[in-house]
Amino acid sequence: DATGGTSKDCQSCPCPSGATCAVVPKTREVVCTNCPAGTTGKRCELCDDGFFGDPLGQEGPVRACRACKCSDNIDPNAVGNCNRETGECLKCIYNTAGFFCDRCQDGFYGNALATNPSDKCKPCACSAFGTVNQQTSCSQVTGQCQCLPNVAERDCSVCEPGFYNLHSGNGCERCNCNPIGSTN
Amino acid sequence: GPTPRPDVHPLPPGTHLLYAQSGRIEHVPLEGYDMKKEEAKALLHLPEKVVIGVAYDCVEKMVYWTEITTPSISRANIQGGEPTPVIRSDIDSPEGITIDYLGRTMFWTDSMKDRIEVASLDGTQRKVIIDTDLVNPRAIIADPPNGYLYWADWNRDAPKIETSYMDGSNRRVLVKDDLGLPNGLTYDPQSAQLCWADAGTHKLECMNPGRGDRRQVLDGVQYPFGMATFGKNVYYTDWKRDAVVAVDRYAGKESDEFQPQKRTKLYGLAAAYSQCLQGQNYCAVN
Repeated sequence: DATGGTSKDCQSCPCPSGATCAVVPKTREVVCTNCPAGTTGKRCELCDDGFFGDPLGQEGPVRACRACKCSDNIDPNAVGNCNRETGECLKCIYNTAGFFCDRCQDGFYGNALATNPSDKCKPCACSAFGTVNQQTSCSQVTGQCQCLPNVAERDCSVCEPGFYNLHSGNGCERCNCNPIGSTN
Repeated sequence: GPTPRPDVHPLPPGTHLLYAQSGRIEHVPLEGYDMKKEEAKALLHLPEKVVIGVAYDCVEKMVYWTEITTPSISRANIQGGEPTPVIRSDIDSPEGITIDYLGRTMFWTDSMKDRIEVASLDGTQRKVIIDTDLVNPRAIIADPPNGYLYWADWNRDAPKIETSYMDGSNRRVLVKDDLGLPNGLTYDPQSAQLCWADAGTHKLECMNPGRGDRRQVLDGVQYPFGMATFGKNVYYTDWKRDAVVAVDRYAGKESDEFQPQKRTKLYGLAAAYSQCLQGQNYCAVN
């Protein structure tokens, strides 16, 4: 308040490196109006969209704003790719998920960090008949679905040799063929 | 030093461009087609927000915006009103927003829910109108006098520009070939031209949606995001240039550039007209 007439009326802005500020009259809140490049917020404490960090060190050591780190599994044309403070990735693509888009989404398997998008995460596609509780998720690495008894293959889609009736939904049953009358 | 009322700065009369940049909605006045750059100022300070889409209601002189940090849609009167949220729930990543100034509704795209919704301007009477075949919906534009909606989806595998009636019916694809990342979209009702700016093909193109006569206006555009129209000009925000760029549609030439002092990405762009376009309403059309 410059109308008070004392030398303490004007205070310097609580903003980094000479950024200007203004006072919201209703709340008397001071807001920085010209934050340094890459930062924003009332006190220039936040990073711009697409970046994360803690430029004022409010939650610990100062972390300068850096581009979202999402294992190359975000699209630069998207907005809001990561949380501006923690860096948690929010818009993973190629069927990836996780804090850094570093694993496959539920229901997918493979290597989320593969260079080629087509080598990344593939659908588990577990057979509804051969999989325990008709689960849709599989092993992240091998893609093996959890098969019912006597069911085989990665996707639990066939009976083991000597077994039949995958569609029972309880696993496959032994054929019980007579060894004398059967060809193999 | 401190200036009075930094949260809201009333807009003087006339036409303005409103654009979102780094926790602020700013405005630059237009004098004729020229941007009065030295008079550019903040309209609203929203220091913790990432504002994506901006739209203007010429009837109540309100600015509407989408925001993704606490995903929501808010509005404020440009003559000095408080920011007020109107949509706060069941919304993940709202991007483009457009106002039907005749029907008193707003439409928006949500790039995580992959749908297009409509609601009254106060947020009530909300309804999903499109929820299929959307991957990265962004820009959306209403043509209230003729009852059409246009939107762009920058899906890298199959980008497209689509149209429908304003209830979502009669949906059809307008453009799907030779598109890259159609981020910006705008419609000029006077010349019936739908124009888009593409950050993938780096082209600015226009067409009459009824005739389908697509033509290139300009190439070599760098990284367009938001887009608006005013008379013979289209304006777009550019992520590489951190600027608002003016393009003369008829001359096919860039005519002006405004680079705000703050060097960071500019997002949504809208034209705030001094009054609604005259002689154009449902009654005049029927």
